[in-house]
Amino acid sequence: MLKYIGKRLLQSLLTLFIIVNVVFFLMRLMPEEGYFGEEYDKMEPAQIEAALEAMGLRDPIPVQLVRYYHQLLHFDFGKSITVRPKVNISRIIQQKAPYSIRFGLASVLLSLVVGIPMGTIMALKKGKAADKIGNGYIVIINAVPAAVYYLFIQLYGSGMFNLDILYNERKAISALLPIISMSLGGTASYAMWTRRYVVDQLNKDYVKFARAKGLSERKITFGHMLRNALVPMAQNLPANILLTISGSIYIESLYSIPGMGNLLLSAISRQDNPLVQALVLIYSSLGIFGLLLGDLLMVVCDPRIKLVRGNEALT
Amino acid sequence: MEQNEVILSVRDLEVQFTLRGQTLTAIRGISLDLLRGESLAIVGESGSGKSVFTKSFMGMLDNNGHVSGGSILYKGQDLAKYTSSAEWRKIRGHEIAMVFQDPMTSLNPLKTVGRQIQEAVELHQGLKGRAARQKTIEYLTDVGIPAPEKRYRQYPHEFSGGMRQRAVIATAMACNPEILICDEPTTALDVTIQAQIIELLRDMQKKYHLTIIYITHDLGVVAKVADRVAVMYAGDIIEIGTSYEIFYHARHPYTWALLSSLPQLGVKGEPLFSIQGTPPNLFKAIEGDAFAPRNPYALKIDYLIRPPYFELSPTHKVRSWLEDPRAPETAPPDTVQRMMARGREAADRV
Repeated sequence: MLKYIGKRLLQSLLTLFIIVNVVFFLMRLMPEEGYFGEEYDKMEPAQIEAALEAMGLRDPIPVQLVRYYHQLLHFDFGKSITVRPKVNISRIIQQKAPYSIRFGLASVLLSLVVGIPMGTIMALKKGKAADKIGNGYIVIINAVPAAVYYLFIQLYGSGMFNLDILYNERKAISALLPIISMSLGGTASYAMWTRRYVVDQLNKDYVKFARAKGLSERKITFGHMLRNALVPMAQNLPANILLTISGSIYIESLYSIPGMGNLLLSAISRQDNPLVQALVLIYSSLGIFGLLLGDLLMVVCDPRIKLVRGNEALT
Repeated sequence: MEQNEVILSVRDLEVQFTLRGQTLTAIRGISLDLLRGESLAIVGESGSGKSVFTKSFMGMLDNNGHVSGGSILYKGQDLAKYTSSAEWRKIRGHEIAMVFQDPMTSLNPLKTVGRQIQEAVELHQGLKGRAARQKTIEYLTDVGIPAPEKRYRQYPHEFSGGMRQRAVIATAMACNPEILICDEPTTALDVTIQAQIIELLRDMQKKYHLTIIYITHDLGVVAKVADRVAVMYAGDIIEIGTSYEIFYHARHPYTWALLSSLPQLGVKGEPLFSIQGTPPNLFKAIEGDAFAPRNPYALKIDYLIRPPYFELSPTHKVRSWLEDPRAPETAPPDTVQRMMARGREAADRV
């Protein structure tokens, strides 16, 4: 098991290393005006050249690379140029991330709490009314553009229950509508996967054997089937949770939540090179870390995984 | 089989399944008395309804199947009338337990073997905590699993096939049942392990005074364990008798055909005997003897009227018109005759 974890850890580090380098080289391919912002048009070529040199961008690539590693190891992502000029990127993220994380975690939690029981019930009542209603919900959520029901919830939800139409930091209840809106998609997908994996378990021999032992359906469902059904879902869960930091672009702008949602997009559209670089690195390392945690969670959930070597698939 | 107390009495049982809007009659009016303490083997080819028949005693039929007629009397209750799973839970495990064919899949891969056996101990023996654990370890020892303390904490994938089947049997024993149904308990195992598992089941039967129903198509297993044998064909018992009667005095052409397909009876270099044709379509009502179209000894009446049971001895019944006094004398195929004669001689010498 330790060997497996060690191997998995090394894989993650290697992936991270590759990403760090790819990002570095991609950034060197970006137009250089991204380092200047508004002033670029007014500057003389000599000025530009001098400024680039001052930033170290005219140094040989290996020198730049070493400096880049050095900064990363000190969590120094540099300063933003156009989005929040001259502000430290780590400060920007420190200010914005907590909002996104709070809303993200709350909505993932809500999706899990609603989605998993919903999927389980759908599986147990396969083909009956409850299953059909659940499927209807999943289809609607997936087929209707999210913007439609987000707006619907904002307008009618705030009207009907007399809630604020925008998020207000001093009123906790105003977080309700955005959290619900954000959780709808997750709920649908957790319900769909739970249903699918529980249905897989329904006709397994061990379920029949448990029934033949005289166990109640409740014990069979919760004591036997659900755990087997949730193992394949456990793998994606940590990544889902970690990536809530990236925020929801649409929800955050709809309720004017000062989160991370818009940050990457505006950094790209306004050519804020250091900010793009920092965000891409953060998101991808969180993604890698999430997958790693997911695999470790699988080890905890499924005793058989200790036997898996190399790329052998789980049976 | 000293006492002849009937523990389970099935009368005219009919089981139907609904498949794509069509009705299939899987069990066509079976009557059977199971005697306390006996080992009854049910043999027959795949699809003859062996499993369905016994599953109906536990309410374990698939969702599209139901008992459509007859009764299953057990301790004064008619199990055929049970509908809710709450009713069945009083029977399942505690009265009738089951051992499945494939030990590789009968255990939950994510729970320790000990926990899974202990579930049954807790449910059926009212023990909890340390006492339940102690009892579970006793059962593991009982079924011949070495190092039970260690095995208790292991997961099914850490067990070999034979050991898993032992764990499955331990689970069934932990339910403390009166009747044990073994649905092809050795089919999925190595030949060497098969004999051990059969031996274990016999030990358990003695120790816990079990009545065992073996479902199998392995006549070798039957010969080793069964007091009585019921031969099933197309959802009906067509011959039933003591093991001796079925192996050495069989009268139904289908039983002869089964015996002829024993590899031991084959002649070296010649293809093994196989029964021609296929079993009847159970979606349609069957007229006459279901085996008639495949039966080289079939009489005209076999196609018209279902034969009644003819009693050859108090224990031996056969559903075949050949036993009617008006039917011509028929003898089993030569190979079967020779085998039966050899067997009778051997049995007489003992």
